[in-house]
Amino acid sequence: MASLKLAVALGLVSAATGILLHDPSALQAWLLGQGVVLRGAVLIGIPCLIFLIMLIPLGIAHDRAIARLSRALETRADGQAEIGKIDAPGWLQPVVNVFSTSVERMAGECRQLRDQLSAVESRTFLVEAQKKQSEAVLHTFRDAVIVTDVSDQIIMANDAAAELFKFDVHEAANRSLESIIHHEKLRQLIHDTRQVGDIGQCRHAQIHINLPVDTTTSDMTQKTNFDVCLTCVGNQSGDVGSVVAVLHDMTHEQELSELKTDFVSKASHELRTPLASIRAYIEMLIDGETSDESSRQEFYRVIQDEAGRLSRLIDYLLNISRIEAGIVQIEKKVLSINALVDQAVSSISPQARNKGIEISLKLSPEGLRLEGDRDMLHQVVLNLVSNAVKYTPERGKVTIVAEKDTLTPSILVSVIDTGMGISPDEQRRIFDKFYRIDNYKQLAPGTGLGLTLCKHIVETLHHGHIGVESKLGMGAKFWFTIPLRQTSPRIAA
Amino acid sequence: MSALTEKTSRILIVDDETHILQVLSLKLRNAGYEVLSAGDGEEGLELALEEMPDLIITDFQMPFMTGLEMCRALATNKETEEIPVIMLTARGHSLNDADVSIGNIRHVVHKPFSPRAVLELVTSQLCGIDAHNDTQPSDSEAA
Repeated sequence: MASLKLAVALGLVSAATGILLHDPSALQAWLLGQGVVLRGAVLIGIPCLIFLIMLIPLGIAHDRAIARLSRALETRADGQAEIGKIDAPGWLQPVVNVFSTSVERMAGECRQLRDQLSAVESRTFLVEAQKKQSEAVLHTFRDAVIVTDVSDQIIMANDAAAELFKFDVHEAANRSLESIIHHEKLRQLIHDTRQVGDIGQCRHAQIHINLPVDTTTSDMTQKTNFDVCLTCVGNQSGDVGSVVAVLHDMTHEQELSELKTDFVSKASHELRTPLASIRAYIEMLIDGETSDESSRQEFYRVIQDEAGRLSRLIDYLLNISRIEAGIVQIEKKVLSINALVDQAVSSISPQARNKGIEISLKLSPEGLRLEGDRDMLHQVVLNLVSNAVKYTPERGKVTIVAEKDTLTPSILVSVIDTGMGISPDEQRRIFDKFYRIDNYKQLAPGTGLGLTLCKHIVETLHHGHIGVESKLGMGAKFWFTIPLRQTSPRIAA
Repeated sequence: MSALTEKTSRILIVDDETHILQVLSLKLRNAGYEVLSAGDGEEGLELALEEMPDLIITDFQMPFMTGLEMCRALATNKETEEIPVIMLTARGHSLNDADVSIGNIRHVVHKPFSPRAVLELVTSQLCGIDAHNDTQPSDSEAA
């Protein structure tokens, strides 16, 4: 209908314009009734009117075709259906067909783009999910991770890196490396790695970072060694896209390495010492350095004692190593603690008699029983009683008490001596491998492993506890507890 | 043994292992030396300052004062700084060059050692001869 109104309006305007164009004074002539004016108006105005009348159906058809096209486009825009064939007057049909084809093609492209968009959205979602997952995993790392792009901007860094270099992990992304990492050598390493450009190859380097000794006192720092693994990651075109730096604190490895070195050094010392005596005494015998038979007999005894010491050392070392490695098979049976104590005391009695040491027993008359490995627990009791006799001066006293600890509940065995006592510092270290109290070394030979083995047997194999209480000059009390058994199988000792 | 060392040379042996003290003392006494002995570094230092021995044989690891600490203390005293020292050690490779450069340590002998080789070292040191090439490589090394 808008087209029809437009046609009528155009017709009227054309007629009026025709009159005016022919003669500007036409209106005046008309009013004056002159024939020339009338003729002009008829000649121009009538064709215009006829033309206008012809335009009316054309406008209507055009208007309907446009409306259909408009509806079709709206339908297409909503993505609801195909456009299909659009009816139009014959003369307009070619135009409509071309238009319709264009719209169909555009609709096809639109569908294609929409599909592509969906695929891209899906991929983006997946990538985002994977990125979040990777970041979540990276944030759980104890090692610091820093990823930088080609322009030395941080792509990502994890919490460990943020803690190490004191920055906000949420604000690090897209900031320059220099503004975040105040460690020149690390920045240089990242830069050098990118310059070398070995994609996928990890380069290792060592750096030192000053870390606070105690988090509560920030002014005290210590130099900490870090291993840095730097790797170039390639982009889609195969060029270096980013550099990943992973910083691993070497403190734990260094401590383990030092412990291992220290253990090997101590073990070497303890094994070589009796071996040195054995070798030296044998050579002396071979060289005929002893003048009489009694001296030779003394040499034989030393060799025998030192061979025994060497053998004990090796046994202790092997037992401790096997317990630490968790490969010891123990046979737990119900044992009488009184029997274990009696057995140990009878083994040590000759040495105690030689030194005039009195061994006093305070055992429970009801005959306490515990569940454990007889051979292992015998070693514990024997070791504690033997130590007490060795390090107690002549005419001293050793008391062995076995009682039930109702609180735990467990069996508590205490070996109390009247020796020179142990300082608090020495008490802390006395169960360490190869530790021997300086003052005690001259009193009696030892391996420095007996108490370590006792601790392993009591705590690792029997889930009990072992400890020492002492004051310098006031003797010492070594004790251990073994949890009481819950069932009552047959007694084996 | 030379005439120079036969008469007056006194050797101080410092070791917390009684058996080592006994066996080295016997070996050196049988060779004609006068032997003094001490059971730890502190006692060894005290005896060295009192008796001014011609040579000291000391263990490395000892209670109260190690052999190295004793050597360091001897090196700070004008009267004892020139006394040659033979260091015994059972600690494998734990002694480094910096350690053995302290004081007047001439040789480091690893345990287990040969008393015969130690006697040769003592004799050569007191005669002013470097006996490094004459001893078994596994038994000793030059400091």
